[in-house]
Order: sequence, then structure tokens, then C-alpha cells
Amino acid sequence: MRSPGLLARTALTALHTGAGRARTAQTRTGRTMTGRTGTGRARAALAAASALALLAAGACGSGRPFASILDQATLVVGVKPDQPGLGMKVGEGRYEGFDVDVATEVARRIGVPRVRFVTVLSSNRQDFLQSGKVGMVVATYSITPVNRSKVTFAGPYYVAHQDTLIRAEDKAEIDNVRDLKGRRLCQAAGSNSWRRVREERQIAVELVPAATYGECLAKLRDGTVDAVSTDDLILAGFSARAGSALSIVNAPFTDERLGIGLRKGDLDGCEAVNRALTAMYQDGTAEKLLKKWFGGSGLALTFTVPQFEGCA
Amino acid sequence: MTPVPVNQTPAAPGAVSAPGTAPPPHRAPVPSAPPPAPGAARSAPAPAGTAGAPPRPGPSRLRSVPGRVLAVTGGTVIALTLLFGALSSSFQTVGDGLDVIGHDAGPQVVATADLYFALSDMDTQVATVLLIGDEHGLGKGRQRALDVYERRRSDAGRAVLQASALAGGDPAERRTVQAVLDGLGRYERLAARAMLLDEQAGHAAGPPPGPVLGLYRQATDLMRLELLPMAYNLTLESGTVVRRAHEEQSSALRTGQVLVAGAGVLALGGLAGLQVFLARRFRRVFNPALLVATAIAGTYTLTGFTVLGNEAGVLDTAKRDGFDSVLTLARARAVGNSMHGDQSRYLLDPERADTYEQTYLDKSQSVLYAPSGNLTAYYKAVDAGVEAYPAEDVFLGLIGQEAARARLPGSEAAVSEVLRRYREFQRGDRLMRAASPRAAVEELVGPVETRFGAYDAALVELAGLHRTAFDRAVRSGEEQVAELWFLLPVAMVSTAVLIVAGVWPRLSEYR
Repeated sequence: MRSPGLLARTALTALHTGAGRARTAQTRTGRTMTGRTGTGRARAALAAASALALLAAGACGSGRPFASILDQATLVVGVKPDQPGLGMKVGEGRYEGFDVDVATEVARRIGVPRVRFVTVLSSNRQDFLQSGKVGMVVATYSITPVNRSKVTFAGPYYVAHQDTLIRAEDKAEIDNVRDLKGRRLCQAAGSNSWRRVREERQIAVELVPAATYGECLAKLRDGTVDAVSTDDLILAGFSARAGSALSIVNAPFTDERLGIGLRKGDLDGCEAVNRALTAMYQDGTAEKLLKKWFGGSGLALTFTVPQFEGCA
Repeated sequence: MTPVPVNQTPAAPGAVSAPGTAPPPHRAPVPSAPPPAPGAARSAPAPAGTAGAPPRPGPSRLRSVPGRVLAVTGGTVIALTLLFGALSSSFQTVGDGLDVIGHDAGPQVVATADLYFALSDMDTQVATVLLIGDEHGLGKGRQRALDVYERRRSDAGRAVLQASALAGGDPAERRTVQAVLDGLGRYERLAARAMLLDEQAGHAAGPPPGPVLGLYRQATDLMRLELLPMAYNLTLESGTVVRRAHEEQSSALRTGQVLVAGAGVLALGGLAGLQVFLARRFRRVFNPALLVATAIAGTYTLTGFTVLGNEAGVLDTAKRDGFDSVLTLARARAVGNSMHGDQSRYLLDPERADTYEQTYLDKSQSVLYAPSGNLTAYYKAVDAGVEAYPAEDVFLGLIGQEAARARLPGSEAAVSEVLRRYREFQRGDRLMRAASPRAAVEELVGPVETRFGAYDAALVELAGLHRTAFDRAVRSGEEQVAELWFLLPVAMVSTAVLIVAGVWPRLSEYR
């Protein structure tokens, strides 16, 4: 009684493994069956059977509407080119920073054979994901309800806190974000950080637009703006480079959930990335990477896995 | 030449009675076929062809008749084997699917959500105790907060044990549960020290002195940054397990249905062909045994096909109306509780007040999203949106999602109730933040807490609705499978016996 069930079960399993690869499944089934048969009309019957199998395999294949990052031979990852400590371009196609290390580690753990990094900016990362130019974005991408409606977020891989960077000579006058009232705040294109100050906290700041945080930093140095307010991880990288000329206020006033952006609907990829992140925190890899990039900054780092957003 | 098929004849019935060894009779006639009678031999392995083949008299006839009977029988038996195999394997799949959803991940969601709730509420109660200070009678009182804290502590312990049992063999989940258990011990020590120090300090209602606050910060950071995320991720992981299982099983069921239909048609064709062939060849109108076998195979093909279709529906319902909603509402409840805790922490820790206000807004937005840049705008958007529901559904977020797919009988009313009470709660929050520090504490431990309780209860009620739907779907799925599953071996044995009974006497005429 057991063997017939087992036989059919093996056949079924053969079909299932073919999900998404209908053609392979069909050829495999066809070959197995033809191997056993004789001639003539029997062959016709078996052709019918394999047509059946093809039908079934086709039905299985419809489960995944488009390629997940799990299926890609080369995963293209978007990172920032100008954020020291997080994502910094150091040569043609070469980047370094915490985001880059996290992406590399995640790619290895979800079993992607090759990774290629490209530059994304806050202003174009969503388009790049939607158009498929990149499969994954690890670029201090905040998980917000609005972003979530366009992008599937794995993670967060870290919860940063918004803080403020000022010139060292202003240190006496600015103790927290509320002291920015009436001052000029840099507004980097595509980033939401300024909203936290002006809309959420309703602090009357004058906004000065800039293309990137790199440009914000230049403006802060030359006095065109008085403050740059964004994630403490970003600020830590900048202030480490600027030496003593710039200073972090050290009054964090938000939680920023930094997510790994995936194309909307890539739930298989999202769940796999979350499992990889969990493992990275459990085995201490995340702690090692955080210490490597931000250990010297004096920031209070968290070494346990963040609360995930849930794949949707 | 003649002895070849005769030698094979006795072997064949043996093969027929044991379906597992079916291939030999099918293959056997082939080598003997080519030389003498190519026409007869070619039609032999093809079950469908026999019915139409005219009986041609000749010297090879006696030799080829048993061969043909055996070949058709063999083909039929293979098709039947495939039919019953596909049925049993599909039923197994359904059983596994219901097991994962109903008895593994389903309870795991509940257990881990309970864990989150208990942990989060522990921290909220500690904040309340510290906020009340030595004005013990404020609101529902210090003692009540302490009692609730104790109760949550034991709830959390129980939920950890349950989550650990359900985590089973998954090493990552087991490590997480273990980490929560370790952290819980540390949290309790920190909380106890903070509350003791607070009692000794004896301050008026409001923010406690620095050292107390320092200890509480350690405690709440441990809770919010380490333990709660782990508990929450365990809940999410159950969702992942169910989604994957569901996807696999749905496609397995579709394949199973196609196979059952295909194998069923082949088997019925074979049985009919056999019937016709025997009737013509041996001049008997009916072969009762084969008729009954045909009836059984037909019934099983038809009911099997239908039941598998139903089961796909059952699995869908159990997942969509049951499990997904239960999971979403469990998450809404978890986030909601920690949002309520942020209210206490906002009043308790002036230095971090900005952060707690922002996380409050963030969490409110993830529970019920309404476009708005700050709390004032959010209150307004919630007011307007709840007013317009259900005519207009403007919300996103966890509850918004549930509002949009309110499908069960009574769920729209339940969602309305949740939304109304949520609006009341947010109105209370506005009053609390507008009040003077002292009045704000009174607002928090009085009306805000009551309104939160009412909102939470409505949420639990809505979740209960889905939980019932879920349990019902799982149970009905299991019952349907159990009935067919129970009869399947009987059908297999009886068909085998009937085929042998129908064919054997005819074959023995050739001895």
C-alpha cells in the first residue's frame, strides 16, 4: 500500500522542483517516462501524460510573477557614493562602508553567487528598484509608510537616530535640535530628515537645498548652512573626516529604521534577507561590522537584531 | 514461439494483485511481439486501441489474446496506481498544510504575540509606577500597576515556554527564544532596582530623580531595543513559514488535481476497454467485477478532483481570512501596546521626550496610517478618516489593511468599533500632550489608560472573529480529508481484488 503512494509522490516532487522552470520539469518527466516505454501508440499516451505534466508545471510556475533577487546570478546592489563610513566610492565599481559590508554579507548568506555595486542617490533609488536597474538598495534608506507603499523593505538592518552636525564654534549655542530655530538647515534632495525638524518638531528653520549630503557638508564648512541634521551614522562618518572643525550635537531625537530596499513584491527575497540579518546579529557579524565602522565615533551602538518591518 | 506468452501468463496475475510491481506485465509483451504478428503486437501495449481493433482470426490469435488482456490490465493498473498515488500524496499535502497553519505556525503567532504583549506591558507598568511616584492613589493607583506588572511577568514566562516548545527544531528560533529568556531576567533585575530606588526617593507624580531615570533607561532600552524586537520577529517568522508552506501546497494541490484527472481518465478508459474487449472476445455482455471496479475508480476520480479543489479553497480561506488577519491584528496589538508605553515614557523622561513623541507617531502611523507630517495633523486625519468609514476607506497601516479587506460576517462592524475607539484614544493623547505636566500624568493614568483598554479590547474581539473563521476552516479541511483518507486503502484493495477477479477467470481459459 505504501509503494504506489511513494511512487506518485516522487513524480509529484519532480514536478514541484520544476516550479518556475516549467521547461526543465517537462523534459525531465518526459525523459523518465519515455525511458520505460515501448513503441507506437503507447508513446502517444505518454506524450499526453507529459503534456499533462507540462500543464501542471506551468500552473506551478505562475506562483512567482517576476524574478526574485534569489534567482539572480549577479545581484546589483545600490549604495551611496558619498557617505563616509556607510557607502563611499573608492574607485571604479569599488565601494566601502558599513552598508557595503552588510550588503556583501547578506548576499553571501542568501546564496547569491556574484555581487556588483552601483551608485544610487536618495533621489533615484526608488526608480532604480522599480525599473530593475538594481535588485537591492542598501543606502541609509529609511522605512516610512510612504516609502513602504512603493518598495518592499527587508530589515531594518539598523536603527539609527537623527542628530545634528554643526560647526565647532557654534557648540556653545546649540544644545539640541530646538536651538536650530531661525537657523539655516541643509535639505538634501530625496531625504526626509529635514521634515523631522521642520514638520514633526515644527521648528522654524530656513531650508537650504543641496543635491547630496556631501554637498551639505561643503555648505556647512563654508558657512552657507548652519546645520546638517540626519542619521547619526552618516554624521559620524562625516565628522570623523572633518576632524575638529565640525561637531555632533549628541542629542538624538528620532528612531530611524534603515531598511534594505527590494523591488515591491519580492517577498521571497525579503524573507531570505531577514533570515540572513537575524543570523548576522546572532553570530556577532553585525557587532563586528558596527564596531569596525563606528566604534571610534562614540555613538551608543546596538548589537542586537532590530525589530523587522515585516515583508509586504 | 508458443511457450513464451504461456510462460508469462502465470506471472502476470501476481503482478496485478500487487500494484507496486505493476510495470513488468506492461513491458513483457513487447519483446515477444515483433516477429510473428506485428499488427497484434503493436496494439497490445496501447489500452485505448484495443476497443476498436477488429478480432482477426489466425494462428497467432490464441497466443496474443492473453497478452493483450494482460497489457491492457497492466496499463489500467498503472493508471489506477497513479490515481491512488496522486490522491494519497495530495491528501498528505493538504494534511501537512493544515498542520503547519493550524497546529504549528498558527499557535506560534498567538504565543509570540502574547509574549510581545506581556513584555511590552511590563515596561509600560514600570513606567507608570515610576511616574506615579509616592502619590499612590493617582489614577488606578500604584498598587494596581504593580499587580499588573507581576501578572505580565508570569504571562511572559509562560509565553516564552510555549514559544520555545513551538520553535521545535529551528536553531535560529531556538536561539532567539533563549536570548529573550536571558534578557527577561536582566530586565527584571533592572526594573526591580529602579522601582526600589524610586520608592526610596519619594517624589511627586511626574519625572523621577536622575538615578531612577538612569536605571529605567537601561531597563527600557533592554526591553525596547533587544527583547521586543526578538519577540516581534518570531511572530513575523511564523508568517514567513505559513506563506511559504501555503505557496508550495497550493501548487502541489493544483498539480495533484491535474494528475488525478489525467490518471482517472486513463484508468477509466483502460477499464472500459478491458470490459469491451472481454465482452467481444469471450461473448459475455458484462463483467460484473470490472463494472464495480470502474464505478469505484470513477467515484474516486470525481470526488478526489472535487475535494482537492475544495481543499485548495479551504487552505486559501484558512490563510487569508484566518491566519493573515490574526497575524496582522497580533502585530497591530503589539505595536499598539508599545505605542501606549511611549506615552508613559514621554512624560517620564523629558530629555528623550522628542524621541518618544516621534516613535509614538511612527507607531501610530504603522497601526493606522493617515498622511500627516506631525501629530497635530495626524489627529485631524484620523478624525476625518474614521468619520468617513466605511463609506470611504482612506487608511493604510495594519488596521487600515484589515479595514480594507473586512470580509467576514460582522467584521465590518467590528472594524468600525476598533476605529472609533482608536479615535477616542488619540483624542485622549491630544489632551494629555496639551496638559500641564502634572495634569498630563493624571490624564495618562486615568482616561488615556481606560481608552487604550477599550481600544485594545475591540481589537481582541476583531481578532477573535478571524480566529474562529481560521479554526473552522482548519477543522472542516481536516474532516474532509479524513473521510476520503479513511476509505482510500479500502478502495485500493477492493479495486485490485475486483480486477483480478474479473480478468483471472478469462485468462485461465487459456491454460
